[in-house]
Amino acid sequence: MKTAAKPKMTEERLEEIRKAASETTKEVLAAQYSPRKPPAQSEQSYYGLAVLKAPAWTWEVPLYFFLGGIAGLSACVAFVAQFFRSDPALIRVSLWGALLGAAMCPVLLIADLGRPTRFLNMLRVFKLRSAMSLGAWILAVFSGCAFLAVVCFELLSRGFTNPLWTSLLWLGESSAAAVGMLLASYTAVLIGATAIPVWSENRKLLPVHFLTSGLGCSAAILELAGFLIPATQVLGFAASGIETLIETFLEVRKRPVDAPLHHGKSGTTLRIAGLLEGPAALLLRVFWGSVPAGRYAAAVCFLIGALLSRYAWIWAGRASARDPHVLFHLQRRT
Amino acid sequence: MAENHPVGFQWVVEARERGAQVIHVDPRFSRTSAMANIWAPLRAGSDILFLGGLIHYVLENGKDFREYVVHYTNASSIVPEDFKDTEDLGGVFSGWDAKNKKYDASTWFYEGCVERDKDVPYDVSAHCGHCKEGGGTTIDLTRCNSDHTLTHPRCVYQLLKKHFARYTPEMVERYCGVPKERFLKIAETFCGASGPEKTGAICYALGWTQQSKGPQIIRAAAILQLLLGNIGRPGGGILALRGHASIQGSTDIPTLYDILPGYLPMPQLGIDSDNLEAYIEKHRDLTGWWWNFDKYMVSLLKAYYGEAANANNDWGFDWLPRVTGDHSHQGYFLEMMDGKIEGLFVMGQNPAVAGPNSRFERKALSKLKWLVVRDMVELETASFWYDSPEVERGELRPEEISTEVFLLPAAGHAEKDGCFTNTQRLLQWHQKAVDPPGDARSETWFMYHLGRRLKEKARKDPRPRNVGLNALTWDYSLEGKLQEPKVEEVLQEINGYTVADRKLVSGFGELKADGSTACGCWIYSGVFPRPGENRANLRNSQDYLGHGWGFAWPSDRRIIYNRASADPAGRPWSERKKLVWWDQQNKEWTGLDVPDFTKTKPPDYRPYKDAEGDDALAGDKPFILHADGVGWIWAPKGLADGPLPTHYESLESPVRNPLYPDEQDNPAVMKEERPQNEYANSPDARFPFVMSTYRLTEHHTSGAMSRMLPHLAELQPEFFCEISPELAKERGVENGGWVTLTTARGLVEARALVTARMRPLLINGKNVHQVGVPYHWGYRGLVKGDSANDLVAISEEPNVRIMEAKGILCDLLPGRRAQGKAALEQLSAHLGGSNAH
Amino acid sequence: MPISAFLTDASLCIGCKACEVACKEWNEIPDDGFSWSGNSYDNTRALGASTWRHVLFLEQKQPMGSQLAGIDEPFRWQFLSDVCKHCANAGCLEACPTGSIVRTEVGSVFVQPDICNGCGYCVVSCPFGVIEKRPDDGRAFKCTFCYDRQKAGLIPACAKACPTESIQFGDLEVLRQRGKKRVEVLQERGYSDARIYNPQETTVGGIHALSVIFGEPEAYNLPPAPEVPTVYLKSAWTSAFISAAIILAIVCAAFSF
Ligand SMILES: Nc1nc2c(c(=O)[nH]1)N[C@H]1C(S)=C(S)[C@@H](COP(=O)(O)OP(=O)(O)OC[C@H]3O[C@@H](n4cnc5c(=O)[nH]c(N)nc54)[C@H](O)[C@@H]3O)O[C@H]1N2
Ligand SMILES: Nc1nc2c(c(=O)[nH]1)N[C@H]1C(S)=C(S)[C@@H](COP(=O)(O)OP(=O)(O)OC[C@H]3O[C@@H](n4cnc5c(=O)[nH]c(N)nc54)[C@H](O)[C@@H]3O)O[C@H]1N2
Ligand code: SF4
Ligand code: SF4
Ligand code: SF4
Ligand code: SF4
Ligand code: SF4
Ligand SMILES: [Mo]
Repeated sequence: MKTAAKPKMTEERLEEIRKAASETTKEVLAAQYSPRKPPAQSEQSYYGLAVLKAPAWTWEVPLYFFLGGIAGLSACVAFVAQFFRSDPALIRVSLWGALLGAAMCPVLLIADLGRPTRFLNMLRVFKLRSAMSLGAWILAVFSGCAFLAVVCFELLSRGFTNPLWTSLLWLGESSAAAVGMLLASYTAVLIGATAIPVWSENRKLLPVHFLTSGLGCSAAILELAGFLIPATQVLGFAASGIETLIETFLEVRKRPVDAPLHHGKSGTTLRIAGLLEGPAALLLRVFWGSVPAGRYAAAVCFLIGALLSRYAWIWAGRASARDPHVLFHLQRRT
Repeated sequence: MAENHPVGFQWVVEARERGAQVIHVDPRFSRTSAMANIWAPLRAGSDILFLGGLIHYVLENGKDFREYVVHYTNASSIVPEDFKDTEDLGGVFSGWDAKNKKYDASTWFYEGCVERDKDVPYDVSAHCGHCKEGGGTTIDLTRCNSDHTLTHPRCVYQLLKKHFARYTPEMVERYCGVPKERFLKIAETFCGASGPEKTGAICYALGWTQQSKGPQIIRAAAILQLLLGNIGRPGGGILALRGHASIQGSTDIPTLYDILPGYLPMPQLGIDSDNLEAYIEKHRDLTGWWWNFDKYMVSLLKAYYGEAANANNDWGFDWLPRVTGDHSHQGYFLEMMDGKIEGLFVMGQNPAVAGPNSRFERKALSKLKWLVVRDMVELETASFWYDSPEVERGELRPEEISTEVFLLPAAGHAEKDGCFTNTQRLLQWHQKAVDPPGDARSETWFMYHLGRRLKEKARKDPRPRNVGLNALTWDYSLEGKLQEPKVEEVLQEINGYTVADRKLVSGFGELKADGSTACGCWIYSGVFPRPGENRANLRNSQDYLGHGWGFAWPSDRRIIYNRASADPAGRPWSERKKLVWWDQQNKEWTGLDVPDFTKTKPPDYRPYKDAEGDDALAGDKPFILHADGVGWIWAPKGLADGPLPTHYESLESPVRNPLYPDEQDNPAVMKEERPQNEYANSPDARFPFVMSTYRLTEHHTSGAMSRMLPHLAELQPEFFCEISPELAKERGVENGGWVTLTTARGLVEARALVTARMRPLLINGKNVHQVGVPYHWGYRGLVKGDSANDLVAISEEPNVRIMEAKGILCDLLPGRRAQGKAALEQLSAHLGGSNAH
Repeated sequence: MPISAFLTDASLCIGCKACEVACKEWNEIPDDGFSWSGNSYDNTRALGASTWRHVLFLEQKQPMGSQLAGIDEPFRWQFLSDVCKHCANAGCLEACPTGSIVRTEVGSVFVQPDICNGCGYCVVSCPFGVIEKRPDDGRAFKCTFCYDRQKAGLIPACAKACPTESIQFGDLEVLRQRGKKRVEVLQERGYSDARIYNPQETTVGGIHALSVIFGEPEAYNLPPAPEVPTVYLKSAWTSAFISAAIILAIVCAAFSF
């Protein structure tokens, strides 16, 4: 297409326009239809075609959501573990988990871009209002902190003791933990703050779910790495417990907008995911929590469930975008 | 109109916005209907009933614009005793010769006209459909019996009443399918657009013309408009919405076989063989503008043959070819099939898709020795011999076709200078934007250089047949590396010049019959009055009629016969509707338009004894091209099928003719019935539905210009037909599903667009379903599809020889047609075993 | 500089699609595929990466003012040319992480094709389903409001091509008023369900491509109360922080003994 001369950014004008718009908001044109009034004929749409565009994201994105969650919460676990002076080996695994996760994330993100060579444009601007922009920065900062933490940790553990390394380790770990929380949750905000009904209508629930399953996954990894200590057991219990609550909540709450969470490809997948993360993992811990095999099984259940649920949510978004009527109902409700 | 003339239609929308009432009469609810105030769905082919109904309404309720009718039409003329109406003879007028399917029109002629002592007998025969009607110099049409009280039982007005007496609203409802109250609403609305303060216009196109009685439908509209005083006045008229960008130009300077430029008749073998004198005397009129016939004809011959043309050799009249038969599109394809035609030039046409009964025409092409196709794309007509359905079905085998096909690349309109004449008779010049690519060349280039080479050959060949070719003037200067002839020189030749000094004439008024002037087309004269002044190229419109933009023939008159916009005394009928009027001070006609009248002829002028030509017309006779100077409600001559329109059914119809049991369809029509061009019966159980073919905004005619372009092809990417939900239900068809359409000629498959825009009509108590079929698809291009024309018959309306592409009978069944050979079996099975090959 | 706007008037549209084609020609957009829809005369179906003007064809069993159309039951056939709304608060623009989408000095929302990296976030952030990624190209595309033409002092190609002035181009305020007037006129003429479509009461805060429509916006697939998705950020983040705190507490608890 013809490319217009690159215009100068005029964010001020944007602000003016926003102001102007919010003022006119008060004046409702006599001639204008009233958006809050239900339509004359409900169920009308343009040949049942979609109003919204479905997400174009490919398989990498849900996987990224999954790994981001693990990386973020591993960092958190590492920091807390460090704080309570628990097993260095466990800390090392968590830190490396955080770093490896952080390393894989950009690869997946870039692979999904329409123009991968332009991935650096992500850091071209910093926009608080854009979860995606924020996320790019979060990921960048997180990687930095995780890297710093790992480096210092390895130096110290190899005997290069030096107060500087120690303080830098604390700095790295603490900030990685903090940013890690953001990394694990911003993806939920990112899809929550879109036009896709099933996402935006669950924008409060999604962060809880993403963080919890991030936590469960990081714990599961530790368990699979052999740390069958009480701490990981507790985390496992907590995570699958909360997931069970979320699952049951979703099941009892029946809203038209949530149809994709119950029916179709996305619905089935989400159910399975929910069962694995929640009840399945929980019961395994309750009954076989004492034997290693039981805990391994619970860990694997949770990981698979968490992974599936990310895909399920993206697919749900696609289904939701395809249904014009739900959108209209939502917007007409008073 | 919204569909096919969207740019012109903006003015209809504008008018509607200003309070005009828009009425659309069409079997289907189209984009035009969507924008109209009133839509009348009618059964295809029943237009004369509908218009007759309106005429009936006008006459019964005395809605006619009486003063206009009395002075400006021939309503008062008396028709001789021995004339018999269709109402008397059960469907034919007096003079019908059933054996030769021809009329002797002598009984249609006015009664008691003064005879003059001239030697050339008067000719009332329908000479040709497109040219001026026959003339002659013995009879003075301005002095015949008439009755201005319009009460004489044999005056046109009374005959009209009698003729249309049975065209009642009930009849319209019963056989057009237009509900009575809607019809009455339309009648009332349209009659409201009449009288001094108001006018109404009628736009028509193929819905009327592509019928076995097309010209008579337009005649009916003319009668209605004359009764309402809507001709020659602003906002009035009957507007033909023409076709291709310059299709009007190609009738003015004809691509038609039966006329010469400016609607002069092409001489016919036998009738016009002897000498120019006879030819002229036969076609000129004693009174009225056509008295100047000789000036235009001689000037044309001078333009053709230059020096070689002189008084002794009749200005080369004998070098003109003679019409020896039916050389219309339909005519020559029939002869082609019979192997009577050796070679064919196809320039800017795609008969393999757009020709009626395209199956027939594709096969006919294979009988040619050679075929030259000049086009911008390799279209179906050039590729029929290897990828047509006939090849797929084994009817044609490439290795057996001896036709040698030459495909030559043509330059598009943006790649050459030239001139378009549009629907409004407006000549508009266009400049070349880019050079044509590769070997592509303009038509002018091709014609000029072909002619040049032929002349070179002819010069070496002394045979008499070449004398004319040798004499032909062929001296245009060439420009550029492509050696393009200068087209402005062609326009100058068309405009005309004085032979002696090659000085351009300022208009047809300067043309002479003594060989001192040359003019390529008299009606265009004045378009290039001075060197460097190409008026077709004017681009600043000065008034609401657009003077200053382009050039409208004749003499830049935007509304013809505009003398009728003033009352007999020369005053505008009303302030609101004033156009031209008589200026008492300056003793001349003046106004908003160029007066279509002799500028200094006062309204009260009365012809002196034995006056000839324009002098013979009084000052209150606006229709100066008619020998009697008035509008013809009654056509005393010129038509092959009657002085008044009469309802006949289409050649294929679901009902019998309600008016005339013995005359089902137009008796004078040529059905050209023969194997491969068969017809259904009327009615016919095998073909219960009425189908019409038409266009979509998104495509252009045969699709060769739209199916090849992605941005157009994607808008209507598949061949479909439009049917009502009722018909879909009856035939078990789903929206979007496949259906097979069958007629007596062929079968095609299409997608079904099930829409409430198609309504079944209640005709004489029975539901009649109509099927809408756009005809833009063929077997080439980005989007392909069967050609609707495989379904249409080759028929010839008697006056202009157009085929009937609207209102034919078909069947519609769910599912795709059989592919390959099996398709032919499916067809013959449907026809009940009769041969489909 | 005044804010450029469109007023597209369904009561004047004849469905000729000249706008659709003019747009594609001017912007050199590829075809949108050759698939027949069976939805009246609309075969492009919706706005998207390769269709920036889209003409809708609505066949409805309702009367059109005083028009005498349907025989046995009321019927009307409506056309409307839809386009990117150039929202006052544009979801796509707010979402774009690269700053590829900007607000131009004429108030339009413009995607800079040389910056877009095809992340696709704008696609899910447009409450009108306008902007879309073109698979083969990878970037997101939508109406440019003919920014290049406007720069050159020309009006947008679609408006230029429209034979009936159904697409009017001009200053936002002027067109708002004209639209209002137009609807009043139409209602006086008996088109009782004529309205302006311009969601100003919602967080989108009004659009720069207004249209005159008949009946409910849903029939045109126009969202009745579109919200700019950024309004969901607050609650989403709040929930994120609270749950983060709880999670942190749990982790501490787990390791504290
Ligand atoms: N977009 C576009 N524009 C074009 C063309 C094109 O192909 N595409 N073609 C150009 C050319 S060559 C021409 S000649 C003109 C033709 O312009 P139109 O005359 O408008 O062409 P059609 O669509 O063939 O026929 C017009 C209407 O006649 C209706 N009709 C069918 N049967 C009957 C009947 O029995 N009675 C009545 N009253 N109506 C009937 C059809 O439903 C159709 O809506 O358009 C020109 N303009
Ligand atoms: N069933 C049915 N049949 C019909 C009709 C109907 O309504 N129904 N309508 C009839 C009517 S009105 C018409 S006009 C015909 C039209 O039918 P055609 O004229 O046979 O079909 P077109 O596609 O218009 O052919 C025009 C060709 O000219 C080429 N062309 C364009 N510009 C130039 C140029 O400058 N030079 C040259 N050499 N070629 C050029 C184009 O590429 C195209 O291939 O169809 C007729 N057939
Ligand atoms: S294609 Fe040309 S002639 Fe036909 S409507 Fe458009 S502008 Fe007029
Ligand atoms: S309509 Fe959609 S694409 Fe257009 S400006 Fe608004 S949000 Fe962006
Ligand atoms: S796809 Fe391009 S325009 Fe859309 S948000 Fe991403 S970078 Fe911005
Ligand atoms: S403004 Fe330009 S880009 Fe936008 S729809 Fe119109 S023509 Fe297309
Ligand atoms: S160009 Fe104008 S009239 Fe034609 S479809 Fe577009 S908006 Fe409607
Ligand atoms: Mo035509």
